Amino acid sequence: MGICHIKEPGLIDPVMIAAWPGIGNIGLIALDTLRRSLRAEQMAYIEPYEFFYPRKVIIRDGELVTLDFPASDFFYHRTGRRDLILFIGEEQPAEGGGVYAAGSMAYDMANLVLDVAEKYGCRRIYTSGAAVAPIHHTARSRAWAVPNSPELIAEFKSCDNTVLMSDIEGRGGEGSIAGLNGLLLGIARRRGIDAVCIMGEIPIYLQGFPFPYPKGSKSVLEVLSTALDMWIDMEVIDELARQSESELTRLYERLPDEIKQQLDRLKESTVAAAESGDLITEDDKKKILDDIDKFFKHDAGGEQR
Amino acid sequence: MSGDEAVKLSGNPGLKGSVLIVVWAEDACNLGVQAADYLSQSLGCREFGEVLPQGFFPMGGVNVVEDVARFPESKFYVCDHSNIVIFKSSIPRMGWYRFLTSVLDVAYRDCAVKEIYTVGAMISTAAHTVPRLLITIVNNKEIKSALEPYNVVADNDYETAPGQKPTLSSYLAWLAGQRNIPAVNLWVPVPYYLVSTDDPRAVKRLVYFFNSKFDLGVDFTALDSAIAGQNNKITRLFDKSPEIKNMVRKLEVGDGLDGEESEKLAREIAQALK
Repeated sequence: MGICHIKEPGLIDPVMIAAWPGIGNIGLIALDTLRRSLRAEQMAYIEPYEFFYPRKVIIRDGELVTLDFPASDFFYHRTGRRDLILFIGEEQPAEGGGVYAAGSMAYDMANLVLDVAEKYGCRRIYTSGAAVAPIHHTARSRAWAVPNSPELIAEFKSCDNTVLMSDIEGRGGEGSIAGLNGLLLGIARRRGIDAVCIMGEIPIYLQGFPFPYPKGSKSVLEVLSTALDMWIDMEVIDELARQSESELTRLYERLPDEIKQQLDRLKESTVAAAESGDLITEDDKKKILDDIDKFFKHDAGGEQR
Repeated sequence: MSGDEAVKLSGNPGLKGSVLIVVWAEDACNLGVQAADYLSQSLGCREFGEVLPQGFFPMGGVNVVEDVARFPESKFYVCDHSNIVIFKSSIPRMGWYRFLTSVLDVAYRDCAVKEIYTVGAMISTAAHTVPRLLITIVNNKEIKSALEPYNVVADNDYETAPGQKPTLSSYLAWLAGQRNIPAVNLWVPVPYYLVSTDDPRAVKRLVYFFNSKFDLGVDFTALDSAIAGQNNKITRLFDKSPEIKNMVRKLEVGDGLDGEESEKLAREIAQALK
C-alpha cells in the first residue's frame, strides 16, 4: 500500500506543486490548468484503497466492470532548468466524512506526497488553495502566500499582487490553513523542506457554494509564474475566469437590492480600503453571509413551489 | 491496526470449498439479517469469530434502538454440515478497505471459501403480491453462467449517480475479484411500503435460492407461515379500507401513486402489520 511508480524520470532540481479540492477548487483548477498547458506526463500515483471509499461503480449486463476511486496522481514536466512535479489529489482523505483531510489518514497521505518529493530531491514545495476574503467577484483576487519558514518571507513580499498573513486586514499575521494544504507545510518543515502555500482569494459570499472560482486560480498561477521564473499560458484560465464572472454577474442581478448594496460595499474593500481603515467589519461580514443564505434558501423554496 | 489484529477467531472451522454469505444490518426490511438468521437456524450454525469494532465504528457511545443500547457487531457463523459460512455485520463507518480485507482474509485463509454471496434489498414500487425478483451482479463471467438455472435477473446495467456512493456489497465483490474469488451481489426488490416492517416473501426468495443452489434441505414452513400471516393482516386492512386495496391494485397493474397516496399506503400498512 503506498506509491506506485509508472516511470521514474531523471529530473533536474525539481519543484513540487500540490493541490486538492477545496473552496472554489482554486488550487485544483490552477494546477490542472498548468498540467494541461504543459502536457505534463503521469509518473506515479498513490494507491487509493486505504484513503478513500470508491466513488463510482459501473455494472454492464449484470457484471461489475469497474470500481472507481478518487485519484491522487503525480505528473512531471521537464523545463530544462528546474523541472516540475505536479501532484493532483481528486479528494482529501477525511476520516470524519468532511471535505478537508483530517486524522491519521491525512498525515499518511501528506507523508506519501513528501516521500515522492524527497525521492526526486525537491527542495521546494508549493501547495495551493483558497483564501476567503471580503472582496467582490468583479475585483482581481490577490494571492496569499504562507511559507513554512521565516527565511522565505522576503521572497514573497516582492511578488506582485501577493500578500502575507500580516498584510491581511485585522489578522496580525495569524490564521490557519485547513486540510492537506496546511498539513503538508507542517510536515515538510519537519523534514527540512521549504514549502509555501499560495492561496487565491475568493469572495466571502461564495465560500459556501459549490462554484469553481478560476479568478482565484489565476492569481495562484501568476505567483507560481514569478516564483518559478516560468512563463505560464493564461489563455485557458482567463477564459474560465471570464465565464465564471459572467455567470456570477447573472446570479448577482437576481439578488434583492438590499443584499446587492451590502455586497457592493465589498468593491471598496481592497488594499486601499485596508490602508484607509475603512474596513468591512466582522458584523458586516456576518450580515452579508446571513442575507445571502436567507436569499438562496427562500429562492430554492420558491422554485419548489 | 492490521487486518490480522482486526479479527478474533475462536478456532479454525476446518472448511474446504465453502460458501460465504454476507449480510448487512440496517438493510431495508432487515432483509439480509432475516435471511441469514433463517438459514442459520435451519442449518444449526455456530459463531466462530468476529471483526473487532475498533477502527471501523465511531467509539463515541452507543445507539439505542427499541429501548435497547446497541453496539456494532460483525460476526462469523459456520454451518459445519453444509459448508456454509455466514458473516453478519453492522455497516462499518470508516476503514472500509481494511474491514473488507479482514473479511476476505478469514474467508480465504480460514474457510477456503470458493464463492461469496452478498444479500441486500432494493426499494421497489411493485406491490407485495408480485413475485419477488432476484437480481444478481457478479464479478466474473463464469459465475454468471453458473447462476442461469436459478431464475435470476442477470442483465442489469447501472452506474452510480452523482452524489451517491457504491454499496459496500459492490466494494466487497470488487475486492474479492482482485483475489480471483467469484462473488455475487444478490438484490431483492421489496415494496416500499414494507420497508419499515418485514418482507417474508423476499426472505423466502433468498433462502429458496440458497437452498436450491447448495442443496441445503431447508424447511420453509416457518417462512410460509409468516407470509400467510402477513397476507391475512393486509387482507383485513383491505376489508376495512377499499381505498388502500385500490392503491395496491394500482401498483399491481403498474400505475403509480401520487405522493400523498404513497405516504398513506405506507402508513396504513405499517400500522396493520404492527
